[in-house]
Amino acid sequence: MNGTTTVSLVGVGGQGILLAAAILAETAAAEGLDVKASEVKGMAQRGGSVLSTVRFGDKVWSPVARYADVVVATEALEGRRALGMLTPRGTLVCAATTRIIPGSVLRHEDEYPDDLAAAAAARGVRLLAVDAEGLAREAGTLRAVNVALLGAASTALPFSQESWRRGLAAAVPAKILEVNERAFALGRESVGEEDEQ
Amino acid sequence: MERTVFFSGNEAIAHGAVRAGAGFACGYPGTPSTEILETAAHLKGIHAEWCINEKVALETAVGASLAGVRSIVTMKHVGLNVAADPFMTLSLTGVNAGLVVVSADDPGMHSSQNEQDNRNYARFAKVPMLEPSDSQEAYDYLAEAFALSEEFDTPVLLRTTTRVSHGRGRVVPRVPVPVEPRDYARDISKYVMVPQYARVRNRLVLERLQALRLRSEQSSLNVLEAGTADFGIIASGVAYTYAREAFPKAWSLKLGMSNPLPYAKIARLYEQVSRVAVVEELDPFIEEQVRALGLPVIGKEAIPADGELDQDVVARALEPFVTRKAPRRRRPVFPPAPHITTPPEPPAGLPVRPPVLCPGCTHRSVYTGMRRHKLAPMGDIGCYTLGALPPLLALDSCLCMGASIGMMAGFNKALGRKGAAAVIGDSTFFHSGITALIDAYYNEAPGLVMVLDNRTTAMTGHQGHPGTGVRPDRTQGPAVDIQRLCEGIGVRCATVDANDYGALDTAIRAEVDAPGLGVIVALAPCVLTLRERAGEIVVDEERCNLCGLCIDIGCPAIAPGETAVEITDACTGCALCVEVCRRGALVRAGVEDGA
Repeated sequence: MNGTTTVSLVGVGGQGILLAAAILAETAAAEGLDVKASEVKGMAQRGGSVLSTVRFGDKVWSPVARYADVVVATEALEGRRALGMLTPRGTLVCAATTRIIPGSVLRHEDEYPDDLAAAAAARGVRLLAVDAEGLAREAGTLRAVNVALLGAASTALPFSQESWRRGLAAAVPAKILEVNERAFALGRESVGEEDEQ
Repeated sequence: MERTVFFSGNEAIAHGAVRAGAGFACGYPGTPSTEILETAAHLKGIHAEWCINEKVALETAVGASLAGVRSIVTMKHVGLNVAADPFMTLSLTGVNAGLVVVSADDPGMHSSQNEQDNRNYARFAKVPMLEPSDSQEAYDYLAEAFALSEEFDTPVLLRTTTRVSHGRGRVVPRVPVPVEPRDYARDISKYVMVPQYARVRNRLVLERLQALRLRSEQSSLNVLEAGTADFGIIASGVAYTYAREAFPKAWSLKLGMSNPLPYAKIARLYEQVSRVAVVEELDPFIEEQVRALGLPVIGKEAIPADGELDQDVVARALEPFVTRKAPRRRRPVFPPAPHITTPPEPPAGLPVRPPVLCPGCTHRSVYTGMRRHKLAPMGDIGCYTLGALPPLLALDSCLCMGASIGMMAGFNKALGRKGAAAVIGDSTFFHSGITALIDAYYNEAPGLVMVLDNRTTAMTGHQGHPGTGVRPDRTQGPAVDIQRLCEGIGVRCATVDANDYGALDTAIRAEVDAPGLGVIVALAPCVLTLRERAGEIVVDEERCNLCGLCIDIGCPAIAPGETAVEITDACTGCALCVEVCRRGALVRAGVEDGA
């Protein structure tokens, strides 16, 4: 493949961003690609925003990038916030029904944004709004929101089903692999024909 | 004739500090620095104390500076390695009253294990450095050092070497410097170095360095002295005296303020002479910076890079170079001011998501109890540092690992009463709080030390530490008991269940009112390590009047609704909100099985 593709994963501490990044990195490696990943996770358990970046290609130099081709957001506000880091024709795969209310909104100092679709359209990015919570529940655990989203995102990434299978198996602990495989499949199926371009 | 006294450099520093209005001196003994504090201990108007080590000494001096007292801290060169942690971040926080750090270096290693050149620390920390060359300058420079410290809001490094510290000379005493008292004012954006505030302070440090360079250009401490030979010397400290004696006809640029360097003054020397040598002991500290201006210089190829110099060594080293053909004149190229980043604008209108103390975190109980009292809480590094931010505003400082207790001790000693408390986590207490507690006991510093013992190194992901005995592979090893450790030192200590808000409040109240030094261990395992909720909280909507008392504890699980507060799913049932509610509007419910 030509050039380097950047995928950023954003969410709130505790949502499994790092696991999703690990699955993605293992999948790219299974494709025989060079992969680099990096994250800032010092505040990951304290309810702060978390960002992980995975870059893949024939040869990847820098581990970070200001702009991403695909953003996977496990929370709606974080997805909204991440619009600014997408390249013009990029794709935002967002858990649109997952809302983790920040303190300032709880205290009525701020409002939770309700303009994801409009803002995405204004920026000209493709939005895959996924009910990841519903899919995860259907798969068997709410904790699989991250992997359900990854399933949806897989439709925008150039990897084979076999590579994803190997990526999941390499990164996900064995005892929760099956439920995560279900969540991934449900996420992938959730992206309708009309969404695929 | 003027009245003169005969002082060693170290005696001169102590007297100069008192003359400059310093009221607090501390340090750890180490040749050639020791006599500064020994002298200060016998002077009126200044309190002197030995600290347990250089790190605690610096933190103690920082506390005294915050309390509003000009402070000086003394150590030998290798001692600054021990104090490097607070030193590097002190550059960011700056000071309240002036703070001077004396590093006495030992070229030639008369009594040291290495001969590191601590001038590098001034560049490393981006702080101004003064280098006296004799006793009179050692005496005089203290006033300049304290003035610089307060004007530029920075610690100042006063660097001596053995021959300055232990050399003796005539000193003309000067009239005392009038010093305005400085009250302590809490300012978390200046003193709590969490990333969001430290990034801002760091930019100020870079700007401060530019302003200090202008001061260095104008400073009367940096003097271009005319000579008659076509030869110039740049030197600081005692090396300047060697160069002057070896080459009496040379021009010289005498640097009393050797960081940051005065580039324009250096260029002016090159306008006068065609050959310039830098005479300095140990590292090519000045030389490399002169070379970076594109100017030819005679340096370490002639002047020995190790050991002490003297006029004979300097003369013999430079003579072959002085008679050589002069290098072609070049114009200096001054480095441009560095680009300093502008902070990125967060996307407008979107709520930020700062890290917060978790729902059910017992640090919140401690902070709620502590803020009823007026003690300035000196903070430390861990999850609990998050309590410094709104709405809790529970900490006044965060300098470096283990700094809280030393800062509290210095603050209270300088104030002469219990004005500050210390807040430190269990892992941080073992990291470097123990030494400071021993120091506070030895130096009879009053204060309340709050050890937030959540039985793990929580912030970094629940690693073990000596208080838990847990190893990296999660196996169990021997563990140290904090209360027994404190009692072994001789410090009064009580352990309180941090989930028992009433007991915690009583213990804090008692310790705030008690004389002297005391420790409270607020014990409760990190809520993230617990698998079960403590219970469920329900809101009596009739009673809640949205007064905001429970909102003020900063719990992410409490939200103000339209007519009453709401408890979200994030609630762990810790019930601190029940304790702070004055209307009985929040009540514990029975725990439902399988909830």
